[in-house]
Amino acid sequence: MLVAGVDVGSTATKAALLDENKRVLALALVDTGANVVRAAERAFRAALAEARVEDWDVTYTVGTGYGRYRVPFGDAQVTEIGCHAKGASFLFPATRTILDMGGQDTKAIRIGDGADVQDFCMNDKCAAGTGRFLEAAAEVLGLKLEELGEVATQSKKPMKITNVCTVFVEQEIVMHLARGCPVEDILAGLHWTIAGRSIGLLRRVGLEPEITFTGGVARNAGVVRALEERLATKLNVAPQSQHIGAIGAALFAWERAAHGEVGKRANGAAPRPEAAGGGN
Amino acid sequence: MENSWEEARSWDELVERCTPLATDVTLPSVAAWKAANPQRKVVGCFPVYTPQELMAAAGALPVSLFGGRGQVEIDHADSRIQSFVCSIARSTLELGLAGHWKHVDGMVVPSICDVARNLSGVWQRNFPERFTFYLHLPQNVSAAGVAYYRGELERLRQRLAELTGALASDDALRQSIRLFNRNRALLGELYQRRARGPEQWPTADLYVLAGAGNVLPREEHNRLLEKALALGETRPRPKRDSVRVVVRGAFCEQPPVELLRVLEEAGCAVVDDDLQIGSRFFLEPAPEDGEPLTSLAEAYLKRTVLTAVNTPGPRSRNEGLLATVAATAAHGVIFASPKFCEPALYDSVLLKQALEKRGTPFTEFEYEEKMTVFESIRMQAETFVESILFFSEK
Amino acid sequence: MGSSYQHQGVGRDRQKELLGQWYGRLENAPRDATPVAYLFISGNIGELLRSFGFELLFPEVNALQCGVKKVAGDFILKAEDLGYSSDVCGYVKNDIGLASSGNRGPFGALPKPDLLVCNYSGCNTYIKWFEALAELYGARVFMLDVPYRRTGAEQRTEDVEYVVKQLEQLARVCAEITGRPYDPDRLSRSLEYSRQAEDLWVKILHAARHRPSPLDAFFEAVFFMAPIYVLRGLPECVDYYRAAWEEIEERRIHRLGPVSEERFRVVLEGPPPWPHFRNFWELFKRWGVCCVASTYSKVGGIWDFGFRHDPARPLESLAEYAINCYTNWNWELRRQMLERYVAEYEADALVIHSVKSCRSFSVGQADVREYFTKERGLPTLFVESDLADPRYFSEAQIRNRIDAFFEALEHRRLTAPRAGA
Repeated sequence: MLVAGVDVGSTATKAALLDENKRVLALALVDTGANVVRAAERAFRAALAEARVEDWDVTYTVGTGYGRYRVPFGDAQVTEIGCHAKGASFLFPATRTILDMGGQDTKAIRIGDGADVQDFCMNDKCAAGTGRFLEAAAEVLGLKLEELGEVATQSKKPMKITNVCTVFVEQEIVMHLARGCPVEDILAGLHWTIAGRSIGLLRRVGLEPEITFTGGVARNAGVVRALEERLATKLNVAPQSQHIGAIGAALFAWERAAHGEVGKRANGAAPRPEAAGGGN
Repeated sequence: MENSWEEARSWDELVERCTPLATDVTLPSVAAWKAANPQRKVVGCFPVYTPQELMAAAGALPVSLFGGRGQVEIDHADSRIQSFVCSIARSTLELGLAGHWKHVDGMVVPSICDVARNLSGVWQRNFPERFTFYLHLPQNVSAAGVAYYRGELERLRQRLAELTGALASDDALRQSIRLFNRNRALLGELYQRRARGPEQWPTADLYVLAGAGNVLPREEHNRLLEKALALGETRPRPKRDSVRVVVRGAFCEQPPVELLRVLEEAGCAVVDDDLQIGSRFFLEPAPEDGEPLTSLAEAYLKRTVLTAVNTPGPRSRNEGLLATVAATAAHGVIFASPKFCEPALYDSVLLKQALEKRGTPFTEFEYEEKMTVFESIRMQAETFVESILFFSEK
Repeated sequence: MGSSYQHQGVGRDRQKELLGQWYGRLENAPRDATPVAYLFISGNIGELLRSFGFELLFPEVNALQCGVKKVAGDFILKAEDLGYSSDVCGYVKNDIGLASSGNRGPFGALPKPDLLVCNYSGCNTYIKWFEALAELYGARVFMLDVPYRRTGAEQRTEDVEYVVKQLEQLARVCAEITGRPYDPDRLSRSLEYSRQAEDLWVKILHAARHRPSPLDAFFEAVFFMAPIYVLRGLPECVDYYRAAWEEIEERRIHRLGPVSEERFRVVLEGPPPWPHFRNFWELFKRWGVCCVASTYSKVGGIWDFGFRHDPARPLESLAEYAINCYTNWNWELRRQMLERYVAEYEADALVIHSVKSCRSFSVGQADVREYFTKERGLPTLFVESDLADPRYFSEAQIRNRIDAFFEALEHRRLTAPRAGA
């Protein structure tokens, strides 16, 4: 029995395939781009290819993320809050608080013993404290996103960044650079700021150990470090941090399949993606 | 440390010694005062205007609180107050939640605006064991309003007695009024000298000297101001190309002192402002004889400056601003208000319309207490100064 | 159920008639030489003004109507062109934009004010609003200063006395403007009508105690509440609520309600996003959510805790009424109301809709959330947008939060019996 989860985010779409023992067979990631439906299909196909299986082998598929209703082959939809809770709990059974920093929003989730969502809080109005913030900063500093964490660790004296707006922070960075402030100090300051925004969210839901950090930004060692320093505690970070939503979705699919539910694809009744209102 | 200002021998030294008093939000001098006066209480006053005479008469040290001034990271307060409000509300709560104000025994919040009003409720729930008092300033300027406010002050007097153990007697109150009148007179004198010669009495310096009074007992601040007047008299008067400006909007959340220096460097000689206006709230001394609470009530309703947060009654804010501009021979007005400050934002629309009719130049910008970068404000101020110096009749 | 219902739709239709008549009177006020008073909803002492023959106009209601009829955007932009910041209340900007554009709204031409009665109860922005209108119209302002209810349980007599004195001042001003003397008998008679309407309104609100609730006490209540604010004291207001009550009763008897299957009962704190009203409601309806109590339906008066206008004590009861409108209550009282509603109406959760425009409502809602989730263990959903500005509504984000919340609640319900929790 195979199950799938597809997480359609604003920047990236992720897919996960699990087997009947909840083993992760494949993880895939594609740029979402302008066509959400095609992105979902591409991510799904990439995962199938990696696992060397066909779509009719998949018993059940759950869609999540902002684009979850645009996954035509999805058999059910669960919010990414629910999926992150599920996924993080699966990888770190002792976790009770989850911080997810995605491309354009940040969520703090508190869960109970059964990975059930007790409370959640989102920063979805403002890009500061999200991946976009770092992207904008990276561009101004002429660095690649992947380099940011490494460079920041060289900082001896983090520069205080006061602007909370992603648009205006660029101005602020340029000003600091003009004054000769070292790049690593600016970066460390930015990481500190991002961490601060998230901590506000975490406090709102209540900080209960262990804390798991998920989402694309979790791959930035500088942000992880800033958070750990400010929270005075270690965070769980998985190598699959970007796929936790998709894994969680796949786990929800697993539950349904285990209860005997069968999805459209396995039935052979799924619509072909091109026919299902392919354009956006 | 408390006496260090006494040892200052020059204006600059005095300003330097006063700076931490005026700006350190953890209030170390207040903590020191408490340690030296263990039986007495500290009553924090959220801006803008609070009848500090009453607190002093009850034996407490009234302290004017101006939030975090950018010195604290908002960490806990975010989960109680959302982001589309002025920083001072959040930073004030943060200072309490983070434990920086353990030496502040009580909090008095006047009715400034809805944010301040609601903040008092949030404060109360988060610090249930602490003294919190919300003071309603009547907006109906009449005998009924005066009577009501007198009742408010009486209620505050009683509650303060529960906190300090001393009921402020009428005599103590009259004496306190006298002391605070003296303080206002000294501040008034300082500001008048500035209006006559702003180059000699820079605003950023006056700000700090006045600000020291936020944390000092009034008698001490009076001595400080007397010293300042004496030291300031003999300062040189450098000549510079500047325009005389009136600043409005900064009556509650304060800009960083650096911003004031930026304005002065850009060529703005501030001849009138509403910074920390609470300590200069009366237009004339409050009566020192008679029933003191009635004197205070009358003064607060009928004889105060015009701000965005108290009703002008029969007076007009527009006329008031125009009169100030004329009286100080100002060339223009700078509206400088904190981001998200509703009262200031509403007022400035009408005030600007009045200035426009009169043909008085003005410019407007927003600040935040925690800002550290002033480039765009500098540019705006320089442009404003240039436009007046080079393109208009002086 | 195939039978045809007698009373369904009456609440909506009758109200449309009544409000249409009211706006007609306003449009004809200049022609009929009817004096016009502007006032605000919270603390609206309309009966006193009507007793002098004033017709009443509520700028807030104009703003609300513009929002609902989707014309708010242009008026707000107009006000911003005049210099109003993006950070000030959308209601105010809407109204100022409207007033500066010839004062003609989606409901017809609006008359200029003969008197601006600034009933300052619970909202400091009211003062600024009327300062701006006074400037615009050159009109006289009367300041009715209603002290904030901040001392907890006891209603202070000093507060009531102060308001009564001001009402006496106001009566003198009204007499001056209209040329008519203060008529306490006429006032008392209208307060009797107020009292009757209040009794019926409370019966309607209490109907939500039933399972399933026949009424959505937020999405429907905010429309049902209009006449008791703007037409209170008039006999037609009593007739209206009698008819509306029959509609609700009929629903209860036939187990009709706002959602076909009531799955979640919630208490809702905060104003609605008027420009996106229907959309917002749909986001909840899809989860079978019925609001069984709300606080916004009390902005113009709190009657479900026992208070009634009293013909025998006209000015005192008007004062008490004005002091006890929702946003004039301090946070302690507001929290107590929410707790009481959660218990009395057997709610599963609290939903807080926080609006950017209104500091009075919103500042401290996050603290309420903190209190209910951490200290009471009550599931609380926090969503944000605006009450008047159509730009501040992000449907995808709001939907996401609502879905995540009810998904989790549903999940907990399903797993609870097994877990023995």
